[in-house]
Order: sequence, then C-alpha cells, then structure tokens
Amino acid sequence: MSDNATLTGYSRSNGRWGFRNYLLLLPLHNALNQLVDQVRTDFGGDKSAGTSITAVAHDWSGEIDQDWERIHRTFSGFAVNPNVGATIFVGIGSESENAIVKNAQSRREMPISFLTLKEAGGFDQLTAAISQEIHRLLPGIEREERTHAPWSAMVLGLECGGSDAYSGITANPALGVASDKFVELGGTSILAETMEILGAEHLLAARAKSPEVGKAIIDVVARYEKSITYEGIDIRGAQPSRGNIEGGLTTLEEKSLGAAKKAGNAPFTGVLDYAFVPHEPGLYFMDTPGHDIEQLTGFAAADVNVTVFTTGRGTPTGSAVIPTIKVATNTEMAIALPDLIDLNAGTIADGTETVHEVGARIFAEIVDVANGKLTAAELGGHREFNLSRLYSSTQ
Amino acid sequence: MITGYFNGSRGLGVRHHQLILPSVVCSTHLSKKVAIAVDAITFSHQHGCAIIGPDVAGVNDFFIALAGHPNVQSTLVLGLGCETLQGNELTDAIANKYSETEYVIIQESAGMAGALESSILRARSLQKPSPRTELDSLTIGIEGSPAPAEMTALIKSATAHGHQIVSSHEFKEPSRNFAELIRAKCHVIVSFPDGNQPPTGLPLIPVITVANANSPLHQALIGDFDCSSDISADALLAKIESVANGEMSKSEGKKVGDIVVPRMVRSV
Repeated sequence: MSDNATLTGYSRSNGRWGFRNYLLLLPLHNALNQLVDQVRTDFGGDKSAGTSITAVAHDWSGEIDQDWERIHRTFSGFAVNPNVGATIFVGIGSESENAIVKNAQSRREMPISFLTLKEAGGFDQLTAAISQEIHRLLPGIEREERTHAPWSAMVLGLECGGSDAYSGITANPALGVASDKFVELGGTSILAETMEILGAEHLLAARAKSPEVGKAIIDVVARYEKSITYEGIDIRGAQPSRGNIEGGLTTLEEKSLGAAKKAGNAPFTGVLDYAFVPHEPGLYFMDTPGHDIEQLTGFAAADVNVTVFTTGRGTPTGSAVIPTIKVATNTEMAIALPDLIDLNAGTIADGTETVHEVGARIFAEIVDVANGKLTAAELGGHREFNLSRLYSSTQ
Repeated sequence: MITGYFNGSRGLGVRHHQLILPSVVCSTHLSKKVAIAVDAITFSHQHGCAIIGPDVAGVNDFFIALAGHPNVQSTLVLGLGCETLQGNELTDAIANKYSETEYVIIQESAGMAGALESSILRARSLQKPSPRTELDSLTIGIEGSPAPAEMTALIKSATAHGHQIVSSHEFKEPSRNFAELIRAKCHVIVSFPDGNQPPTGLPLIPVITVANANSPLHQALIGDFDCSSDISADALLAKIESVANGEMSKSEGKKVGDIVVPRMVRSV
C-alpha cells in the first residue's frame, strides 16, 4: 500500500478537513423541500462534477417530541460537515429552528445563513432570497483551494448494505485492510450499524483500548436489543433481511461476523452515540440503525468525510455531503449493475486477487476520491438524507 | 355537479395523477427523475427497508392506499430488489385491486441508467387518458383546527350539497394529519394549519389552505393561502368545488408539501 500517496483537502477552522467544498441548502421543514430542491436544480441540477451546490429533503415539520434532541443534533452536525464550505438553512421562522442554527454556528466558524419563510413573506420571495444568498456566498467558496492534508484529516465511514454470503469474505475484510491502514497512519475510522454487530459484540469488545470502551460496546448492543424487544419484536426473526437471505446469508450472527470485518483488526478507541463526533484519531463504533441512509446521515453529522459502502446485492444511494464509494462483494453483481459500483472486490472469491490486494485498491480509491475523483453515487446525483428516530411518529 | 375523472377501479377522482411509487428509500431518487420525465407525481420517504413489526404491514398498507386513491390514474412501483417491502409483491397487492399498475426493479435493470429508461417507457405506456365524468358528490377532508362555528357552518353547507366530510386534527403539523385523509380517499382537503405552521399541501390531493387571522406567521404569508378564516362557509364551498373542477389551489400550483408516511416503531 503506497504511503507515497498524498491527500489534498480544504482546511476548516475547527481542525477538520473537507474533501469536497459544497454550498449546502438545508430545509428545516418538509414544506420547504420542493422549493429548496428547485433552487438547487436552477443552479445546475445534478451535474455534481462542476457545481458545488447540494441540498436534502426530509419529513420533519417542526414537531418537538422525544426525538427532538437527536434530530437537532443531526441537522446541526450535518450543516457543519467538513465537506461543506457554507450552509444556508431555510426555515419557517421558529425557535426550534433557531436552536439548530445556533448549535451549528457554535460548532464551526463558517458562513452559515438562516433564511425564513416568515421574513421573506412568501414562498416566491423565499426562493428569490435563497438565490440571492447563493450568489453572495458562492464566490467565497469558489476561491478556497485544496492544500496538502495530513493523514489525520481522514474520517472514514464504514458501511454495508444489501449484504450477501460474499460480504464477509471479500469486500468487508478488504475494507478492513484499508481501514486499518488509515488508523495506523493517524486517521479516524467509524464502524456503525448496531444491529450488524449483534452476535459479534464480544469479539469487538475484546479489541477495545480500555475496559470502559469494551463495556460500552457490549452495553450499546444490549441497549439496542432491549429497545427492539420493548416493541415486542424478536430482532433475530426480522434479520437477516429477505434480500440478505436471497444473497445466501443464514443467520444474524453470520451477517454480523461478516459486517464487523469492515473494521479490520485495529483496536477500538471509543464508542459514539448517533451523530456524535469523534474527538481524537482511531477506530470507533457508532450506535446507528442498520438503515443505510439513517446511518449515512449520522456519519455526515459526525464529521465523516469519505464513506466506503460494501454491497452484495447492489444499491445506488449516496449522501448530499459525503462521497460514498461502493464496493461490490461479487463480480456477477459488479458486472450486472455497472453504474452503481466503484470497485469490485469479487475478485477475491474469483481467486484472481487477495484480500490485501483489494484492500490496497480500496485504500487508493479512497485517496483518489478524497482528492476529487467522483463516485458512482455522486455522478448519479444521489443525495439521500433520512432523520433517524427512536420513537413513533404516530403519537 | 363536479366534473372529474373516471380512474378505473380507483373510482371517481378530481385529478388523474400518475403515481411513481418508490417501494424503498433506495429508489426515491430514481422515482423523482422518472416523475419529472413523464410529468407524474412522486414523493421521498425513508421506508421500505430496516422496518420491523407493525411498520412492515403499516407502510405496505399506506402505499396501497396511495396507489388506490381515486385521484390516481395509474401507478408505477419502483423497487431496488433486496428491500423488505419487495416491489413486485407490493405491485401484486396493488394490481389485485387496481388496474394500470406495473413495476421496475433496479437490480433487475442493469443499473440506474437501464432502470430509468425502462421506467420511463413503462410509465408512458400506463398513461391512458382517464374519461371525464360527473361526480355527484365529494369527500372533503378537513385538516387542523377551524373555529367550531366555522366548522359547523362548513359541514352544514357541504352536506346540504351532498358532500361528505372527514376531519383529522390529531397533530399540529398538517403533513402528519394528511395521512388519515389520504386513507379516507378525500378528493380535496381544506387545511386550517396551526398558527406556527406554514400553508402546505400534497402532490396527490389538492389542498386549500385557510389562514388564521390571529397568526402573525399566516398574516406574513397571506399571499400563499387560498383564503382567510373570515371566509363564509358558502364561499369556501364554492372554492372547494372550483378546485375540484380543476382550479389549482395555491399549494398545488407551487408544489408545496410532501407525503409523510406514518411510522409506529423505530427503524432497525
């Protein structure tokens, strides 16, 4: 694996590094989703190669319930992701929106604007105000240039979705090799998806840097299983999913043992709650749902700047702010769905490459993507964003 | 008398939308591209996978209710392939009740470009003009909290014209109350948003928004409301009938608002 490779990025005021330089439009009410997306489209649409304007949509309409703290943290963290150069919050004009904006401002010194429907005096006026604000902010963002970044700049997110029987022997262990390398070089790597370590938590806990961290890994899984059991559901009956079973997986434990391989062999430095930021380099576990997009959104709110997403069945999704590299676990799928996949790890099962060789290719791809190469998901214009909630939306 | 559309087994509607229905979050981006290309309606959601317990049947049933709404002319289901709510099974469940239903699965379409191409072809082949027809009466949804006197007057006026009224006011947020009115197959919705909520609508059902005279937010946005709470019941009913006859409501014209799918338990 080439240590000669170098990273370039955008140095941020809070010590993080961005590998993209987006102007983010972030609506804070679902009534504003369409309007915000229309502005983004008017400024260049899905041509993510040339434009730096990105936006998301979601189903929140300002309700303050038991999930408020989680939602608040997600929005404010997402807005200050290091891949974002400036953020325009677009709201109705409520106090809760104000709290989200203030939290974002306290986390990073950067251009953050807050435009409201109330102040604009109508939807059309708000559209005009957003366009005007984009024109004001864009020159500043476009002036910023990449500079040489240290390896510690990397905050890597590890993800899998649509797993199959190959995941645990091809793409996941190869990603583990690349993850170990970044951790060894002083970077940060985050494993997540609590459901996907259920049954493998004791193996991960044994790799904890301290007994406290080990206990935290065990506790997070126990808490998760309890929260599902509380609903009267046996998670071991709901998982692996039907897609996983069709892909050849038999039990949740088998899925978990394979999923955990994404995190290689490095010791665990800490455990993070959903959308919490790692404060020192190393390997972390974050408590997120297995839901691909809720996890990706939680990563974005935790300063992750590149994600590698292994997939057996093939999935197109990506993040509005994090380049997401898709690694196929099998050659058949990589050939069948070419515009979803960045890199094929199926060569390991084919017998033409070793885990370490594919790991080196993943490492090199991460560096290339960090330095500006666009992923399949970026080329496809994918910007999926979902709020993770722990409570019912019907009460 | 209202002039609407005969939307086959879905019944008589006041619109004839084609619905592009993503069975999972992973196909919402594709759905949006297809909807733009063929001038159909769609929405983004985060469901279809990593759902458990009552949400599996709940989300499935909600999707069937959307596809079976009388304002829908045809439905194209877009699935990924490995999700919990399998697109082909959802399609079968919809097609059992409602004609003009098809599906495309990304993982069976050689990727996104292939899926986009076949989705557009299939969506267009489903777009047959719905015959114009007369509706004897409307099912009118009321969302939010109108003043009791207003409500009584509206019900009196509407029922005198033979219309049915369904109301939903459990939540402060209109988009959360809309779910029940979608299930109730309302043709048109009159929304009286909470004073802190903006006027908002739905892609599926025209929503007429009524501004609250005591809300500074509503007064600041008065141009985006269809009417004010001082409107008479007869004038509001005339507005409802006009929108049912094809006039675009404000939220409909500006495409404000999304379909929000209710969820019972946490995702996994």
